[in-house]
Amino acid sequence: MQTIIEVENVSKSFGHVKAVDELNFYVTKGSLFSFLGTNGAGKSTVISIILTVLQPDSGSVTVNGFTVGKEDEFIRKEIGVVFQESLLDPLLSVQENLAIRAQLYGMAKHEILSAIQRCAEIVDIHSILKQRYGKLSGGQKRRVDIARALLHQPKILLLDEPTTGLDPQSRQQIWKMIGHLQKEHGMTVFLTTHYIEEAANSDFVIVIKEGRIIAKGTPIDLKQQYSADRLFITTTDHTALRTHFLHDHVLFQEETGGYTIDLPNTTAAIPMLHKYQSLITSFEVRKSSLDDVFIRIHDREGV
Amino acid sequence: MLVFAKRNVLLYFRDKSAVFFSLLAVFILIALYVFFLGDLIADGVPDFPAKHWLLLSWIIAGVVTVTSVTTTLGAFSVMVNDQATNAYKDFRVTPIKQSVLLGGYIISSLSIGFLMCIMTLLVANAMLFATGEPVLSFTQIIQSVSVIFLAVLTAGSMISLLVIFFKTSPAFAAASTVIGTLIGFLTGIYIPIGTLPAYLQSMIHIFPISHIATLLRQILMDAPMAEAFAQAPVEVKESFQLNMGVFFKVNGWQISPFVSVVYLLLITIIFFILSVSVMKYSRR
Repeated sequence: MQTIIEVENVSKSFGHVKAVDELNFYVTKGSLFSFLGTNGAGKSTVISIILTVLQPDSGSVTVNGFTVGKEDEFIRKEIGVVFQESLLDPLLSVQENLAIRAQLYGMAKHEILSAIQRCAEIVDIHSILKQRYGKLSGGQKRRVDIARALLHQPKILLLDEPTTGLDPQSRQQIWKMIGHLQKEHGMTVFLTTHYIEEAANSDFVIVIKEGRIIAKGTPIDLKQQYSADRLFITTTDHTALRTHFLHDHVLFQEETGGYTIDLPNTTAAIPMLHKYQSLITSFEVRKSSLDDVFIRIHDREGV
Repeated sequence: MLVFAKRNVLLYFRDKSAVFFSLLAVFILIALYVFFLGDLIADGVPDFPAKHWLLLSWIIAGVVTVTSVTTTLGAFSVMVNDQATNAYKDFRVTPIKQSVLLGGYIISSLSIGFLMCIMTLLVANAMLFATGEPVLSFTQIIQSVSVIFLAVLTAGSMISLLVIFFKTSPAFAAASTVIGTLIGFLTGIYIPIGTLPAYLQSMIHIFPISHIATLLRQILMDAPMAEAFAQAPVEVKESFQLNMGVFFKVNGWQISPFVSVVYLLLITIIFFILSVSVMKYSRR
């Protein structure tokens, strides 16, 4: 496995605020890498450093063998960026927008035309090339943004919260495209999000908080490590059930209409259900979602 | 740099309201003249031959001067907007250097200012023709275009220092309105300089853009003045010229066109250096 982005002992402060604190991680070539954190966790700072827009105070970052701060121009040619906001010019048409950005990468006239065709194909925007960017819907804009990021055939696609503010259908469409780019075109995809569910398809996830890594692994690893299953029970005889719980030292929480009990694993529910069978009117075993995992990681490491 | 400048120019002209607002000060000025300033000024001077031609030429010089400032200023809104909306972020991740991007903004703003002034001059020429006055000669046009070029350069370098301090579009728009209104007074265009108190006159003498107005007046009013004062004593002509700001007299010295041009070039260079150093400093 070849690494394409390497971040070593990187720190960056703004005044007295430490945005990134001794950060270490690497991204494997061709993988889908998710960078998770709440707002203000330091995601943007790390991205800005990888994009060579900010320089780290200490530590080193290399992108495809080029070092940030020394070979910025080469790095910029290797990365295509989709920013959180839609940043193309609203008063210009999609075609004009793409042509202008392509020229900024030093492409010649005939190259630009074929590049626009190629990218329009990938994100399916042929029908809106002549429309003004400002008049497009959120999902259409996002697709154009991705096309813009692909113009100069970068090896890495960096997406900063790419689906924030999109409707569910557009969201799904964007994820499909991202997956396609990774698998069919062999691109390395680096994305940030604060929805861990969106990271479910990634090969590797890193969670940062206050500029430090608080958890990392594949989504399945994280789920196993941090997830908790819960049993939810409803009853008609509340007093009897509560007495049993207290007697058996079962920890429970009262919820609207019933009780929840934390379980070490799903199967642990079976003996409990047997025991209280006579009192139970309905039950449900809830597996935690990745969102629960994220909140759990966050809370636990926050102490 | 030119690619980026082209994008800025395209963006400016696509935004019809921005174009309109950068010409607003000019429209207001023309309306003021049509409705009352014109008569006021005409009543203030005695009747002489070619009076309408002479005063119209004076007004044209003023209008073109104001245009050179307001349109160049308006064109810089593209840069302010890019900063305010973060659109600039997308350019910073391209291999283009920041200094080149900055150069692109400056080139586009100067080109827009220049283009709009030339258009104003052509419209003015049409106005001369429509009112039955002699149109501008080829030499006059060449001379005016050179002055316009200098005007846009000076205005551009002064504005680029100003632009650094405006981070949001509304703030910039408000500043543009204030400048658009003040510029007519600061250059002695709304009211002939001779009618103003001495301290205001000195302010106008110092303000660089006023020198653009005098240079344009000298070029555009040369022919009508020759006709108007053919029969009049020299003192009458001279007092008219001083009163209308065709020439400035500072401490009894008459400022020659050469001195005005040198002064403008000097101001341009000083403000350019100031802008570049402030930009470098503020980026840290």
